[in-house]
Amino acid sequence: MRYALKWQICHMRNVTMMMKPFFEAVRAFKSGPFSSTDLVKRLGYASGYVRNFLSQATREGLLVPEPRVGKREKIFRANPRVVRDIVRRGGKDKEELLNAIGLRSKYFGEYVALDGFEVIDHDQDLYRLGERVFSNREAPGRIVVTNVGVPKKIITVEV
Amino acid sequence: MNIGKCWRFSDDEQPPYPTIELNVSSADRNAAISPKVDTGFNGSLAIGIEVVKKLRLTPAGTVLVKTAAGNREVPVYALNLSQPDLGITYATLAIGTERSLVGRKILNDRTWLLDCKEERFCIIAQTKMS
Repeated sequence: MRYALKWQICHMRNVTMMMKPFFEAVRAFKSGPFSSTDLVKRLGYASGYVRNFLSQATREGLLVPEPRVGKREKIFRANPRVVRDIVRRGGKDKEELLNAIGLRSKYFGEYVALDGFEVIDHDQDLYRLGERVFSNREAPGRIVVTNVGVPKKIITVEV
Repeated sequence: MNIGKCWRFSDDEQPPYPTIELNVSSADRNAAISPKVDTGFNGSLAIGIEVVKKLRLTPAGTVLVKTAAGNREVPVYALNLSQPDLGITYATLAIGTERSLVGRKILNDRTWLLDCKEERFCIIAQTKMS
């Protein structure tokens, strides 16, 4: 029991520590491919740190490795499923992610519907957006809706 | 004044409060709920945890809402909403709150009777302008 708790705390700490470089990688490469050399060059991280980050982030499902072609360096991409998980969790990580994707400058004050890193629709009115996106029964479960910054048409509940 | 469908107040708190019956459904489950009528809520529907569990809903995201205690982030759920007496059937987003609420987006563009003496909340089918 104690071991399980210790493992969980340790795991949470590792995930939290990984989020910063993950958001930096998303900010730099969005959903595009990158290698460990790209991370070292663009973000100025030490190569040992990058190696650790890439292996841990891949294990945790934050990054997806692409099949290696010949002897070329291994290529990674940010896992689009992470967007859904982070948006559903909300909080500071969501803000960081939306910033890193570059939505803050474009959609500030609006609601956006995201399919992975792609904005499939946006609106100032949450209900109009919801109707458009979810009225189609085939709407995939991976689509998530969220606000970017403080919504201009914020929902008010007096509770 | 032509009084149409009426819903009884709920007395699970005092004084009793107005409610409306609504049908909500997810892909494979449905439920009839009686959310509290909340004119301070500018959305359409808020659902409590028991409805979320009953419909086995998973959040379709999170949004920031303004409450009396400040801004707060809440989950949103995609569901189908219907109320035959109001003639509404559509897919909508409901926010997750402690208890189920029906807001002004559903009440708007209709005339209502809030009868606290008889403890009923009714839709007015026709009004005659004098």
